[in-house]
Amino acid sequence: MTPLGLALILLSQVALVAGQVFLKKGMNELDRKPRRRGRVFAGVGAGIGLLTVWFLVWMGLLQKMDISYVYPFQGIGPVLMVFAAMVFLREKVDWRTWVGVALIAVGTVLVAINPASAS
Amino acid sequence: MLRVEPEPAAPRPSPPEAWYLNPTLHLVLNCLLMTVSELLLKKGATRTARIPAPRWLEWTGIMTLGSGWVLGGIAVYILAFVNWLYVLRWIPLTIAYPVTSVVFGLIALGAWWLLGEQIGALRWAGIALITAGIVLCAQPAAAAEEKL
Repeated sequence: MTPLGLALILLSQVALVAGQVFLKKGMNELDRKPRRRGRVFAGVGAGIGLLTVWFLVWMGLLQKMDISYVYPFQGIGPVLMVFAAMVFLREKVDWRTWVGVALIAVGTVLVAINPASAS
Repeated sequence: MLRVEPEPAAPRPSPPEAWYLNPTLHLVLNCLLMTVSELLLKKGATRTARIPAPRWLEWTGIMTLGSGWVLGGIAVYILAFVNWLYVLRWIPLTIAYPVTSVVFGLIALGAWWLLGEQIGALRWAGIALITAGIVLCAQPAAAAEEKL
């Protein structure tokens, strides 16, 4: 893996996590009284923008690299997401959630390994 | 004396009562929609793989847009996004996002069932681990719901 490839994978995951955090922030504004519509649109808009970045970078990676090589990196998504939601959205995280996302990460790597290319 | 109140934490109104507006139902629906969308996209992408694209667009998947399967996949994807916003309205990201990982397993199962792709022992093990992880992630939410 080239340093550039690794940087692009990291960029795609950061954009994905940040995009989801902004979407959630925007939707959370719906519950604030008085409701500030601008903040809802700003959050959802920023989320859609970041998810677009994620999509473009991810598609580029899928074209240039073997799918079984890049897909396992999607597995760290839930781990990063829980961490980001805890820090930036102040969501409380139960210990079972940490164990759960760890299992999901390992499981995703196993699903992504291509048996044909591994053998 | 003027007291500066900290910005009040958003009081969480409870989700609508109607069964078809149940957030958990919509989270499950989102996973199904994402899976259907991916399988439709894959089917269309495979079918259009041999159609040559204009040279300057070769690096994109532009020719897949001529496939009805792909257009259907995009429509379902948009539906899933709107549905996802509704899920985010009511469910914490720390629970909703990990649960969507079930899509990895569902895609593998769907590709096996509908597209004839093989699932090896490793992949079955992965699906089992993801499922176990999701059940763990969903526990705190289930406990919170019981308290209401």
